[in-house]
Amino acid sequence: MFERNKNKQTAVPPEPQRSRQDTPPASMAPQAGPSPATHRSIAMIGPSIEIKGTVTGDEDLVIEGKVEGTVELGAHELTVGESGKVNADITARTVRIDGEVAGDIRGNEKVVISKSGNVRGNIIAPRMTLEDGAIFKGSIDMDPGDVPAKVSLAPKAAAVSGPDTAPEFDLKSG
Amino acid sequence: MSEQQSSQLLPGLFEAVTEGQRIDVLHLGPVLPETVEYFSGIRCRLHINDLFAELPLAFQPGDALTVQQHICELLAFPGEVRFDLCLFWDLFNYLDQDGVVALMDCLRPHLAPAARAHAFGVHNTRSPQRDCRFGIVSDSRLVLRPRAARLPGYAPHSQAKLKQCLDGFDVQRSVLMADSRLELLLKARC
Repeated sequence: MFERNKNKQTAVPPEPQRSRQDTPPASMAPQAGPSPATHRSIAMIGPSIEIKGTVTGDEDLVIEGKVEGTVELGAHELTVGESGKVNADITARTVRIDGEVAGDIRGNEKVVISKSGNVRGNIIAPRMTLEDGAIFKGSIDMDPGDVPAKVSLAPKAAAVSGPDTAPEFDLKSG
Repeated sequence: MSEQQSSQLLPGLFEAVTEGQRIDVLHLGPVLPETVEYFSGIRCRLHINDLFAELPLAFQPGDALTVQQHICELLAFPGEVRFDLCLFWDLFNYLDQDGVVALMDCLRPHLAPAARAHAFGVHNTRSPQRDCRFGIVSDSRLVLRPRAARLPGYAPHSQAKLKQCLDGFDVQRSVLMADSRLELLLKARC
């Protein structure tokens, strides 16, 4: 049996759904706070905006519109809102998906698919949270790092036959 | 509302995995948070494809694709992937004979030599339908959550027929459960 990798951070409990009420309806409008120390800048692609191409940035981004191409936010956070539809490969520090994404996702820190999220693609992230109700088709690479995980075999369970044991399927059919 | 169920055969799923091995896990059902959390502690790539969302997977007159073509199109495994563990759970009870055979035909080239699988069948084909989603919470426990709506196409196979359809796997062990359900541990034929 596995000795689960204790050194690695495992999936975290679902985060509470964040309210979008405090997000102004402006599109691509940086929301600068009074002080960088207290507020991080967050840009937003509004529900009526469609972008084809590469989206890059040095601030957090919320997508409520449509994006097709590539999204690269490096060390920042991307949120695909409930009305967001993204057909693109995504790279960001943290990726939260409340809407629809078709494409591969690399979360350098964490990827969260909320209960309203719908994702088709492959995910690479050291931490992954999937809320109940989320729709996902693809693969999740749980251990992208090079550090070997601590995996070892447990003693064989008594209920399970060894490899040399004849197959058991001896119950009568109904 | 969910319940947990102990499993006698689940531990056997991991027996062939060697220390330090990075594994590919195939889960052909709806993924639950518990499953993601469980496998996040293991060096693996978890492949998720919910075939239940495509039910009924049976050929109808007028269909452009055969069941085999349809299932292969739905699965579309990357050419290089070899699965070490497969989680079928209730899937075989919702596929007809052609569907199970088609699934095996698509999967067989992508099985690692020592691949193992976990599934549920029935001891008695009159065993009642159980509309659940399954997840793994520990090496020997599953979580079961009821589905919002009843799934179409429930037609479980007799043990003999299921064994015949599972070309690519041998049934290594089976355990009789409540409601005439069977827990199955499968091993890939080398």
